[in-house]
Amino acid sequence: MVNRTPVIAVIGAGIAGLEAARQLSGLGYEPVLIEKAPAVGGHVAEWNRLFPDMAPAADLLQSLEAGTSGIRTHVDTEIASLGRLKDGYSLILSNGETLLCDAVLFATGFHLFDASRKEEYGYGIYDRVITNRDLEQWFNTRHDPRVGKPKAVGFVHCVGSRDVKAGNKQCSKVCCITAIKEAIEIKEEFPDAEVYCFYMDLRLFGKKYEDFYIRAQRDLGIHFIRGRVSEVGEAIDGRVVVKAEDTLSGKPVKVTLDLLVLMAGIVCNPDAQHYARELGVAVDEDGFLKSRDNLGAVIESSRPGVFFAGACTGAKTVPETLAEARSAALAIHQYFNKRR
Amino acid sequence: MRERFASHFDPFVIPFLVGMAFVLGYCLIAMIRVILQLPKEDRRRFLVSLITPKQIWINVRDIFLNCLIHVKLWQRNKMLGFMHSSIAFGWFMIILLGHLEVILFVPERIHLFYYPIFFNYFVAETEQTIQGSMLMFLMDFFLLMILSGIAIAIIKRFASRIVGMRRTTRLSLLDRVGLYSLWAIFPLRLLAESFTAHISGGSFLTIPANWIFRQFLGNDLYALPTWWAYSIALGVFMCVLPFTRYMHIPAEMLLIPMRNAGIRIRHPRKGFASLEVYSCPACGVCIDACPMSVLKVNCKDTTVYLNRQLRRGNERRIAEISDKCLLCGKCTAVCPVGVQGPELREAQRARRKYALSPSYAGINVRPMASAVAGGAGGASGGVLYFAGCMTQLTPSIRRATASLLDKAGVRWQMMDPDGGLCCGRPLMMAGRTEQARELIAKNLEIIRASGCDTLLLSCPICYKVFKEDYPLSDIRVVHHSVFFQELIASGQLKVRREEGHKLVWHDPCELGRGCGVYEEPRAALAAAGELVEAGKHHAESICCGGSLGSLSLGFEQRKAMTRNALDNLTVADPAEIVTGCPLCLATFVRAADRPVRDIAEILDTRS
Repeated sequence: MVNRTPVIAVIGAGIAGLEAARQLSGLGYEPVLIEKAPAVGGHVAEWNRLFPDMAPAADLLQSLEAGTSGIRTHVDTEIASLGRLKDGYSLILSNGETLLCDAVLFATGFHLFDASRKEEYGYGIYDRVITNRDLEQWFNTRHDPRVGKPKAVGFVHCVGSRDVKAGNKQCSKVCCITAIKEAIEIKEEFPDAEVYCFYMDLRLFGKKYEDFYIRAQRDLGIHFIRGRVSEVGEAIDGRVVVKAEDTLSGKPVKVTLDLLVLMAGIVCNPDAQHYARELGVAVDEDGFLKSRDNLGAVIESSRPGVFFAGACTGAKTVPETLAEARSAALAIHQYFNKRR
Repeated sequence: MRERFASHFDPFVIPFLVGMAFVLGYCLIAMIRVILQLPKEDRRRFLVSLITPKQIWINVRDIFLNCLIHVKLWQRNKMLGFMHSSIAFGWFMIILLGHLEVILFVPERIHLFYYPIFFNYFVAETEQTIQGSMLMFLMDFFLLMILSGIAIAIIKRFASRIVGMRRTTRLSLLDRVGLYSLWAIFPLRLLAESFTAHISGGSFLTIPANWIFRQFLGNDLYALPTWWAYSIALGVFMCVLPFTRYMHIPAEMLLIPMRNAGIRIRHPRKGFASLEVYSCPACGVCIDACPMSVLKVNCKDTTVYLNRQLRRGNERRIAEISDKCLLCGKCTAVCPVGVQGPELREAQRARRKYALSPSYAGINVRPMASAVAGGAGGASGGVLYFAGCMTQLTPSIRRATASLLDKAGVRWQMMDPDGGLCCGRPLMMAGRTEQARELIAKNLEIIRASGCDTLLLSCPICYKVFKEDYPLSDIRVVHHSVFFQELIASGQLKVRREEGHKLVWHDPCELGRGCGVYEEPRAALAAAGELVEAGKHHAESICCGGSLGSLSLGFEQRKAMTRNALDNLTVADPAEIVTGCPLCLATFVRAADRPVRDIAEILDTRS
């Protein structure tokens, strides 16, 4: 082992990357954050408030950024190529710099499913159809002509997740609760609006999630309709007409809405796949990176010196991502201890 | 010229005679059965067509071109074309010339069936006269032609790629017997004629061969056994013929006039369907063509194997093969005989008894009918646009179509603004013809109420059923690609051409092979950008894999077909893939690496 401080390339400066970098630097290593977007924060930066305590996303990011202030961070930077060295890795960055490092941490996160690929839901075609991300941005900026002052709002769960035809079999895990959270927020914003959730299953596994559901149903009168939306049309006045089947009553339903929110699912990040292939790291059949072991070594790849944190291995909640980031930092620490 | 035997007979002709009698008897009975199995009006139609002079001429021409010359095979693959036509036409000519010889030289023997076949054994020396040497030369010439065909056939059996076939049919045991006896017939004939050439005369093949053999064979004792062998090979071939793929030879001769008379499959197993099954030569051209064959597991679900299982009566496999097919019709397009794979399968599907058969007869369409009654497509004619279920799921197509109609100033209205009834085609594909008829009656009520003179469809699946199964002779049924092309041609719709923007047109199965629409959408696209062609296009275009036709293909299997179809579409590296079917569009969008759009969307953005 060389005597200099080991350098760890952290790909992606979302919450996983930031938290891992913070921990690594605390352990005495030199992490380098590489982020392709102009700013750090990843998807969480686009969100307004986070379940279950409705804490502002900005607060979380602020504390993470404060903890990583001294760390070398390349924003607006892509990785042109990755290579394996004898006992390390070399990354050529789009800013021309070459980074030699001793370990690589994938914190590449996920992509939000492109809702326009489910053309039957009319995203990008009808003016009143938006996605979960659009709605969060509206909460942040209060600026989106599509939202207006709706009297009837619908949420479509599982858009592009658990959908073989869209190419994604896996569950996105967080959209059930996100949909309920956003439905509550909409209802609080527009108390007169009727709010509908079209779901096929509600998977409310996390702490306090069930409370959200009960509150939404009992206290706020949000309508939960079990059944997938079959198609969305546009009425003459520009409102959207949603057709679905209520599989509990066994009857088709048709509602006219002022706003339809599509809960776009979590899909793999194609860049991560590309990098993984260059490094010879295995990719799972769902497109996410493949852990060495799904029980005991979720954060380890099939290759020594390459680690994972967060949603690059599958959909994760914020606390899960943060916990993985910390455990990845610890795993990297042990990796260097063993080499020493 | 003299006859060698006063008895005009030798026992070696018996195997041939037995085979001949058997095959003729079998085919005669089979033909009568098929004709009797036709529904009454079909039978009348067929018999009338047989005595209509114009039809007779068409039938003779088609039989000559297809059964003997194999023009369709020539167009597809020169090597295969030569192989088949050299055997078929050469054999035909040898039989014809044999008869000619008998008529010319020993007309009193024409009643003996075997004389024309074994002429050189029974009749000696004719090459000294101009007639004789001419006939001898022709006999040798056609024999050589057949032998060259047989040589290619042998090569094809062991290395099909050399003749341009990736996959070829796996033969059944009897097919092998038939095949080997067929291969044996002509070399044996050459040997037999060579052995007797110094007695009975010969030409450029048989005389040299005779000379060579006589160099080391001291006597003529070999001659008779070889004629025996030749006769036995013929006898074996004809005796197994009805049970092998070679049944296509007689069957096709009946199939062609029946098809020309407009007979269609009415029963899954009887009449025309059984004739189609027996007309299948099991050449296996459909295996390579079938879009399902990208996955090797599906190779045995192609039309050639359906026909085989239908002959064997293997119900389990028949159901499996019939349900799996995408009904894209490509097998029919490439089939040298024109066996209708999709129609055969639809007929098999119709045999199934379903536990539940909901009736649609009770649907009340009066509100829908009155909604269109007073609209823009009203009493004095106009365009009624039926989007159909698939276009409802691809709203951008509906939007673009509406926008184009408005831009061109067409008087139109929508038949299903709030969703409508199914056109009936998916039910037809599933073999539920009765229920499809119920829906057709309902839709007709709405169409009639509108008073339109044009019915516009943006979905080829709907288009096909409206065109073929709806009694709408006074209303024009048109696909939007054709309609827009006409609007462009007449100047009602102005389209800007974007130079260098490459567009490839995907022929949807139902629109291209199904309805014969190929050129109009291409013309419309050429007005909007630079039209490029896919690797395989027009009638040979490859199904997107999303077809409603298949009842049992899984999503993973379809995905492989979609990728294959996309690879084919992108050979010229188009900027956009354009199609005219919402189902193809929805299928391609999921897997394509570049934009896929409907023709209406392309035209709408350029006008």
